[in-house]
Amino acid sequence: MKFAKMLLALTAIALLAAPAIADTIKVGVQAPITGSYANEGQGIENGARLLAEQLNSKGGVLGKQVEVIACDDQGTAMAAAICAKDLVNKGVKLVVGSYTSTCAEAAQKTYFKAGVLQTSDGTADSLTEKGYWTFLRNSFPNSAEAEFVANYLVNIKKYQRIVVLSDFSTYADGLANAAEAAVKELGGNVVSRDKIKADSQNFTPVLTNIKSKHPDAIFFAGYYSDGGQLRSQQMALGIKADFYGGDANDNPDFVKLAGSAAEGAFIINVPEPAALPTPIAKSFIADYQKKYGEMPPSIWGLMNIDGMRAILHAFEQNGDTDTKKAAEYLHNLTTPLDGITGPIAFAEDGNRKGGAYVVKRIQADGSYINEYVQ
Amino acid sequence: MDIFLQQLANGLTIGSMFALVALGYTMVYGVMKLINFAHGDMVAASAFVGLTIYTQVMGQATSLGAVIVIFLLSALTMACIGVLLERLAYRPLRTAPRLSAVVSALGASLVIQNGIMLIWGPRMRIFPELVPQVYWDFSGVVISLIQVIILALSLILMIALYLFVEKTRMGAAIRASSIDQDAARLMGINVNSVIALIFIIGSSLGAVGGLFIGLYYRGITFNMGWQYGLYAFIAAILGGIGNIPGAMLGGMLLGLFNAFIAGYVSSTWADAFTFILLILILIVRPTGILGERVAEKV
Repeated sequence: MKFAKMLLALTAIALLAAPAIADTIKVGVQAPITGSYANEGQGIENGARLLAEQLNSKGGVLGKQVEVIACDDQGTAMAAAICAKDLVNKGVKLVVGSYTSTCAEAAQKTYFKAGVLQTSDGTADSLTEKGYWTFLRNSFPNSAEAEFVANYLVNIKKYQRIVVLSDFSTYADGLANAAEAAVKELGGNVVSRDKIKADSQNFTPVLTNIKSKHPDAIFFAGYYSDGGQLRSQQMALGIKADFYGGDANDNPDFVKLAGSAAEGAFIINVPEPAALPTPIAKSFIADYQKKYGEMPPSIWGLMNIDGMRAILHAFEQNGDTDTKKAAEYLHNLTTPLDGITGPIAFAEDGNRKGGAYVVKRIQADGSYINEYVQ
Repeated sequence: MDIFLQQLANGLTIGSMFALVALGYTMVYGVMKLINFAHGDMVAASAFVGLTIYTQVMGQATSLGAVIVIFLLSALTMACIGVLLERLAYRPLRTAPRLSAVVSALGASLVIQNGIMLIWGPRMRIFPELVPQVYWDFSGVVISLIQVIILALSLILMIALYLFVEKTRMGAAIRASSIDQDAARLMGINVNSVIALIFIIGSSLGAVGGLFIGLYYRGITFNMGWQYGLYAFIAAILGGIGNIPGAMLGGMLLGLFNAFIAGYVSSTWADAFTFILLILILIVRPTGILGERVAEKV
């Protein structure tokens, strides 16, 4: 009883004291912290917390502490929409995430209406086509990757029979459609354009169909959790085609899932974290490893952190946390900011400028070797 | 033709996994008239239990003996959890209205699913390559060693179960309890131990199914039980729920149906067609393919 009373008193004190400590800059993290993409979602949350910690130890932003509020969107559009409302209600100024384009898109409008800045690594072109000034893409759009893929498959490797495969998500479907169109534009031959249901595990019926078309290359636009299993089932069915995974296959779990079948598969992405050359990348990754005891799961988390850094930098430069002013500042940067994943600057529509891709081949021990660098 | 045979092999492999899981649903329904919604999550749990046995108990040994031990220990663990589940979630509600037991089953499903998440984490866990990737190519039709193992072991288990239920005294007790529990009790059958037995058998078969999922697909997630549970549930209804050979047949048919729809119509539509099939079965033959028409007790 005494304990309960004490608890009550403590709560009352905490409530009274709340306004005094409320003077923080709230940063929302909307990411798939559980579910199939949990690996990536946790990478984003960990990165955001680390950056906030680093900034706070140097006195914060505009003299205020940075407070990270995470919300788990589970990689589903429904949970993403709830997260968006929740984060807006909690008074965040900017939101980092989400990992998937589907979730970023489901939350976009809520942030736009509330004037909350959102920075996501979602690569679906549709994300920047709605004219929301609040959205800043910290990765490079699908259309850029699709053009690179098409050029590589058709002009450099000269494949004759290409299969394009995706799941139904905003990102994967968008990337696959863009790649199919780009391949056709270059005069390439797409023998099949198939779709799988993410997480359904049993891909052999689709792959058997693909086998009957005798492809020499399969481009899979989709996520690593399906990509690894696709690769393993492709080899089990004896399909000899070269396997190319789009950027979202760039995750250590791809290799683990594919097992001994991983060797010889190709992944197309921007350079991976360990290969990032800048001093700022090296020090951030070293701090990340020190704090969490592992490498960031992929480059996506770091891209999101770059988006968060850029927005906080804009607040600092403008001298206040007005989101509209920050967006204008970022759209009109004359020199790009130094980012972990390279120079970062935004076009008027919120797209990140620039971008270069590499093709990586998976070796027998599961490590990557660069096959082609743009 | 080789495409047809390849889809046949694909369908039989996935179908035998559905059948193993469907047996758990159908046996419990047969005796208790209860849909054990927690069964799918038990299947998922067994894959995680198997993975832990591999890493912690077996010290990551990959011999054939190790695989057998993993199967036996996982089945044993899941059988214990199955009995515990019945004791905690279903026995207290034995005399309650049937709806209460169904709600309890849904609750148990959530508890197990979240339990897996809390113990093993929300991330996808990856099964080791315990079965070497060996393939045989029969002029275009490729069959892998793991497919052969899954098919053979499933068939052996199902035949053994069928013989057990049809030929032994315990089997007769199960059949008697499924017809009329009160009459069975009057004949001196301990219905409680019969129910415990079907949970032991159902959970062990589910455990084998869960390990097959882990060995075949390699990636396991805490929430995968829902998907497999749903398919197995459809398989059980297709074959006639409460009917043991029906669950085996239903599982195999569902696997083949799914593979052929995905192969010849569209993979996009495979799930939709599966549910259309379920609706058609419920309209045309609500008792399933092998289910007997029974008069509603008033």
